[in-house]
Amino acid sequence: MPYLVIPGVITAFSLAVIWAALQLDLSPPMIVGDSLQPRVFPILLMVINLVLAALLAIQYRKKPPKKIERDGLHTWGTVALFVIFYPLTVYLDMLIAIAVVMFVMCLLWGERRIHVAGAVALVTPAAIFFLFDMVLRIRFPRGLLTNWYYQ
Amino acid sequence: MIEALQAMGSVILDPYLVFLILVTTILGVIIGVLPGLGATTGAALLLPFTLTMEPVHAIAVLATIYVSATFAGSITAILINTPGTAAAAATTFDGYPLAQRGEAGRALGIAVVSSTIGGVFSVIVLCIAAPMLARVAYEFRPPEYFALALFGLSMLASISAGGTVRNLIGGTFGVWLATIGAEPTTGIERFMFGNYELYEGLSFVPVFIGLFAMSELLVQSKRVNQVVDAIGLKAVKLPSRDDYKRIWKTVVRSCGIGTFIGVLPAEGATIASMIGYAEARRWSKNKEEFGKGAIEGIAGAEAANNAATGGAMVPTMVLGIPGSGTTAVILVGLMVHGLRPGPYLFTEQVDKVYQIFGAMLLANLMFMVMGLYAAKLFARISLVPLQLLWPIVFALATIGAYALSSSLLDVWIALIFGVIGFLARRHGFAVAPIAVGLILGEMVETNFQNSLKMFDGEWWQILTQPLAALFLFFAVVGLFGAPIWSWISRRRS
Repeated sequence: MPYLVIPGVITAFSLAVIWAALQLDLSPPMIVGDSLQPRVFPILLMVINLVLAALLAIQYRKKPPKKIERDGLHTWGTVALFVIFYPLTVYLDMLIAIAVVMFVMCLLWGERRIHVAGAVALVTPAAIFFLFDMVLRIRFPRGLLTNWYYQ
Repeated sequence: MIEALQAMGSVILDPYLVFLILVTTILGVIIGVLPGLGATTGAALLLPFTLTMEPVHAIAVLATIYVSATFAGSITAILINTPGTAAAAATTFDGYPLAQRGEAGRALGIAVVSSTIGGVFSVIVLCIAAPMLARVAYEFRPPEYFALALFGLSMLASISAGGTVRNLIGGTFGVWLATIGAEPTTGIERFMFGNYELYEGLSFVPVFIGLFAMSELLVQSKRVNQVVDAIGLKAVKLPSRDDYKRIWKTVVRSCGIGTFIGVLPAEGATIASMIGYAEARRWSKNKEEFGKGAIEGIAGAEAANNAATGGAMVPTMVLGIPGSGTTAVILVGLMVHGLRPGPYLFTEQVDKVYQIFGAMLLANLMFMVMGLYAAKLFARISLVPLQLLWPIVFALATIGAYALSSSLLDVWIALIFGVIGFLARRHGFAVAPIAVGLILGEMVETNFQNSLKMFDGEWWQILTQPLAALFLFFAVVGLFGAPIWSWISRRRS
């Protein structure tokens, strides 16, 4: 029953939120007064979501959603680059991470001229960095390059 | 009134602001012609760059991006059959066939003139309607705001992308996102997962950058190998007298339709252009020409989508309820720059409000000049290779997400919401409802809680307030009107 996958995911998410909401602290009645406990509103939302998920399942049963084409290397490779971006930023430098991700993304998406990809990956973060640093006065997180620059 | 006109006119006397509007109009047109980079993504990416600007300048920049990118989507819609923005999708129906017949210049001329008329008309309506609505909104208390926010959310049921149920699921998810952080009355932490940077809730900007820019990047990654056929353009031609005779009624009608649709919460230029196009066809004497290059089709869609821009600013500025995806970003811009959206904006900072309206008017005139004289150049920009364009967007998006609070957490939030937005879109869910839900979430909860306090916990007393009851009635109509109407129509047929 593939039409139940998406409504199932939404149901699972809603139930998880309801469970998490039930773990929230209760506020003393004199603070809450006539209004609601902090857990009530999210639970109410997720109950609505459960009803909507059921409606979606009924809709999909009547008219199954279009079959989704499998995403290729371009897409999942880009998602992988998002993931790699995290350790590169934390352990190296945010600007280096952006340059590396940009360079690999250019090649992954089909750019064959390595020098063009390299130039785009170097010039763009550098230009944005100087704009933010000099004009907007925003300090970037410390890393290899920024430590050297801010000294 | 005279003060309002003076404030609007003062825009021209501020050379820096005029320069900013000029540069942003060029940028907006570039953003509009680049497929995938619409007004919403453009505004979300540019918002961090406005941080150090004065509030009026910052909002003028965002509003200019909105109007110019909305127009510019038509350039690629006509020349390469690819709408630069979703709002220009209806323009392809007749714009591209007319261009294929060798009349690309005429098609663009009609689009430019109709867009300008639509845009200028909607700014005039904005100037008249916004203060009037603000006077009514002074009387609003928590029950009215609660009902109004629910009405805004109910309108998600009818926005064009996605479907009713999917849009409502997106909206509910967005409202839930707004509950992350400390609960405003009691201070109890909700869904923070031990991260105290989330104490004040999710920042709107990184979520928007993720939902609109990062998710679009992943969507575009599927299109890298697409080949586009561009139609050559010699020069843009202004419509002839015969053309004007044929389209003027359509333009007038679409101005009204676009502005009205824009004023409705959460509805935007896309649905306005679709209705504008459909109505142009319905009223036309030459129905058989539609789809083959009817100039009324281009005029109907283009006047409506630009008329929606001014209309959408009305609920955004007066009530704090976004009229469209892009105005959701502008609303965040207003908040970031300390201009609290709502009726009091029209008493406390009325000069700034009219300067913003003046900037929008000027932007409409500037994109007309650019559309007429530089469309050929802008059309070339649309052919920039995706494999170079989108990595640049990635850099802008990550640094933009970081810049607002100098927080790396915001960068991770943008990336996570990029993937969430992509997966949602992959399965037919639109991302705009999530953004609208996130903005309206706090408004719904806080005003509901305050209403309960007002009525000693008796929630049904909300229904005894005439305006609140009216908005709730509209909300019910918004939710169930379309399905009930189609059921009745089916029964009849």
